[in-house]
Amino acid sequence: MSAATRIAREEWRALLRNRAGVIATLLLVALVLVASFVSIERRDRIEADRARYQASVDAGFDRQPDRHPHRMVHYGQFVFRPIAPLAFFDAGIDSYTGNTIFLEGHRQNSANFAEARQSSLLLRFGQLTPAFVLQTLAPLLLIFLGFASVARERERGTLRLLLAQGLDGRTLLGGKLLAQAAVALAVAAPAFVVLAGFALAGVAGWGATLLLMLGYAAWLLLWALLAVLVSAWAHDSRAALAALIGLWLIGVILLPRALPEAAAAQVVLPTRIETEIALHRDLARIGDSHDPDDPYFNGFRQQVLARYGVSRIEDLPVQYAGLVGMEGERLSTALYARAAADSAGREARQNRFVHAFAALSPLIAIRQVSMALTASDPAAHLDFLDQAEAFRYRFVQTLNRMQAELIPHIGGEDPRVSADNWKRVPRFAYRSYDPLRDAGAIRRSLLVLAGWLAGLGLLFAVTARRIGRVAR
Amino acid sequence: MSRLSAELRLILRSRMGVGSLLLLLLLSSLAVWSGIAQMERQRETIARVSGEQRRDFAGVAATHGKPDGDAGYAAYYSFLLTHDAPPPLAFAAIGQRDIQPFVLRVRALGLQQQLYDAEAINAELALPGVFDWAFVLVYLAPLIIIALMHDLVTGEREGGRLRLLLSLPGQGLWRRRIGLRYALVLFALAVPFAVGAIVTHAPVAGTAAMLLVAALYLAFWAGCALLVGTAMRASASAAAALIGCWILLTLVVPTLASAAIARAIPAAKGIDLTLAQREIVHHGWDIAKQDTFERFFLNHPEWRGREGFEGRFHWKWLFAMHQVGDEAVARDVAAYRASLIARERWSERVGYLLPGVAAQGALHRIADTDPFGQFAYQDRIAAFHDRLRHFFYPYLFTDRPFTRADFARMPTFAPRLPSGAVPAAPLLALAVVAALLLSAGSRRVARISGADRA
Repeated sequence: MSAATRIAREEWRALLRNRAGVIATLLLVALVLVASFVSIERRDRIEADRARYQASVDAGFDRQPDRHPHRMVHYGQFVFRPIAPLAFFDAGIDSYTGNTIFLEGHRQNSANFAEARQSSLLLRFGQLTPAFVLQTLAPLLLIFLGFASVARERERGTLRLLLAQGLDGRTLLGGKLLAQAAVALAVAAPAFVVLAGFALAGVAGWGATLLLMLGYAAWLLLWALLAVLVSAWAHDSRAALAALIGLWLIGVILLPRALPEAAAAQVVLPTRIETEIALHRDLARIGDSHDPDDPYFNGFRQQVLARYGVSRIEDLPVQYAGLVGMEGERLSTALYARAAADSAGREARQNRFVHAFAALSPLIAIRQVSMALTASDPAAHLDFLDQAEAFRYRFVQTLNRMQAELIPHIGGEDPRVSADNWKRVPRFAYRSYDPLRDAGAIRRSLLVLAGWLAGLGLLFAVTARRIGRVAR
Repeated sequence: MSRLSAELRLILRSRMGVGSLLLLLLLSSLAVWSGIAQMERQRETIARVSGEQRRDFAGVAATHGKPDGDAGYAAYYSFLLTHDAPPPLAFAAIGQRDIQPFVLRVRALGLQQQLYDAEAINAELALPGVFDWAFVLVYLAPLIIIALMHDLVTGEREGGRLRLLLSLPGQGLWRRRIGLRYALVLFALAVPFAVGAIVTHAPVAGTAAMLLVAALYLAFWAGCALLVGTAMRASASAAAALIGCWILLTLVVPTLASAAIARAIPAAKGIDLTLAQREIVHHGWDIAKQDTFERFFLNHPEWRGREGFEGRFHWKWLFAMHQVGDEAVARDVAAYRASLIARERWSERVGYLLPGVAAQGALHRIADTDPFGQFAYQDRIAAFHDRLRHFFYPYLFTDRPFTRADFARMPTFAPRLPSGAVPAAPLLALAVVAALLLSAGSRRVARISGADRA
């Protein structure tokens, strides 16, 4: 047995003697498990609810009677965002984004009924998920277990004694770190087991699961390292505790809260109202289909007549108004896409500003890794919005085409298309989001964590030499 | 007085003491400044949107305000702006204002399909919670109290001065030491807040009430620090135990309670009522128009006999159909609101046990930025929508032309009056808990004095 493992064993023995420490550790492990089970149950319920709603609105669409297709364009379809399997681990922004959108013609509605908007302020204290426990609480536990690791030896005078007996500074510190690092990984183990269970069951991909474990292992090791280092530098254990709590407070609580305000002040996010008004202005600028002398729609009419090889609208085999509807939908959808891209770009700029501080507050890095890999980050939500919008365009145009093609053959005062056709209208089929599709952001955040570990490792080497020197 | 200034010198000589107080002063100032900036931005947004709205509305008026204009088109294409400017004290307790919409446009169609629309927010920025004065008070100030007070007794014992101190003549040593530290922490928190309140012309009563909340909440933590500080032998373990309390009370238990409340009281009625309203409105196209009018006349008998029209479509029928849709889901709307209020009530009850939750709830109720503030805004929108559709009915049901001048007669939204209030129950709970802990802590200190003296 090497000297370092002997030191580590001594440290574990000391930790076991510390009753409060043992209780806190057990509490945290229990909390990880409770959070996992509560969160899995919550995710499953949300998933079941949303699936049930989706099925019921889809069936409702089929049940609609004979109607003019344009009525169905405004009857519209509701889509509900499915929640990713790993989102139990990290709820991410799921509670803050609406999870249902009403899709209809020539309008882009907002995603509504976000849980955060329906909750009391209690929610803002944080959400009980394994990610919350590991990101926010586990570092505190590691601080409590590690703050005295070296400082205690110094206070009791045993540090000098150990080093005088020929123990190398690196061995001593290495042993302490070994002990704390093992505890850090042990604390995370239950969460990792749950994650592995999901991967084994085939619900989640191994790639994302393993990267998630890697990220959290790095995050917790970082705190174990920090605790031992500060403990080695501090005059006494109380100063070590104060310094570590201070670091935790700034890095985990303060910066993540204060930075968004700075980001929001830098990049203005226009309201939906402004976007909507601007869009209608742009649309009016393109042309007015009701104006018989409108240049844009006159050109469109010429194109249509040429395509069907007729000279008068009355001779068209299709309903001209239906074609105009399709053209209008195409134009407004393009404008909506531009506005959505602009808004997403602004949000991304705000978020990038915050992410740039990950080097100062590694919590930002682990939060990114965690949200991205559990598919509960803005990228996953944007992907849903994109899918919903693409689907909206498809089903509205399907109905518009029905109007153009079927209505001329029906005619009459109140032309209605047979209800059988509604089954031919596409339904929303969500393609689940692959978090590793665009792994650049994940790689960057993992690199930040690796950089922190490397930097602290360097500091560790320096500290070990210094401790050795001090004793001699 | 000289003893007090001696005590003050003692605090100011310790690096930890001065450092933590200055830090609190700095954080509190930053929070107030940032809160004011954030609320100022919301006001700017409202001004910006109002400008856009005016231009847009003028365009609609120009298009549809003809001498023989149809009120139906005017009603269909006129979106009217409602807004909810931040109340004066919102800068200190922003609450949900960062995620709740504070501008919303409505038109005379069904309200329930418009009322819950979300505004553009950056969810990732909202995720960690806002940085405001309430956050500094609820989360950070307890840590400063702990830093200043955890070693009041143990520190003297470890320094070997405890017996000496206790043998000194005179009374009120501990009261002086605790009181002074408590006052300094409160001072560091209160001064930036008071300056902010003056700058924003906040009402005096609300400002005082928020300071009272801060005073009670800090008193609770001072009591905690005393209780734990006297129970422990070593300063380090006292600090660790107190921080453990802090973690449980501000991080762990509120999170558990929040999960329990969300689980126990589902709020899915919002989606249900939206779906139901849509079915009813669209079903209106497939049934006899008279059926829709009959249901409309139940609550609008004054228009009975005026429903007839030639042709297949008349705007009055469309607007009647939308109103019928709203009325049909009135029960669901009430149930939805009730579920949200139930969540609030349970959060308040959690506050009876958790001072942090009580303080947070009370601050935001006073500042009028909690869900009740949002409900008040929604009610205001509903009242405005009511005025708006009633404004159009005479034009629609009597086929009166809607001219350019009529656009100027349209009702405009009047912002809601502040509905902030001082909630008695949470404050009382907070006061009781604070008093209990302070008195228990003082008793323990007194007993220690006795024991060590003997």
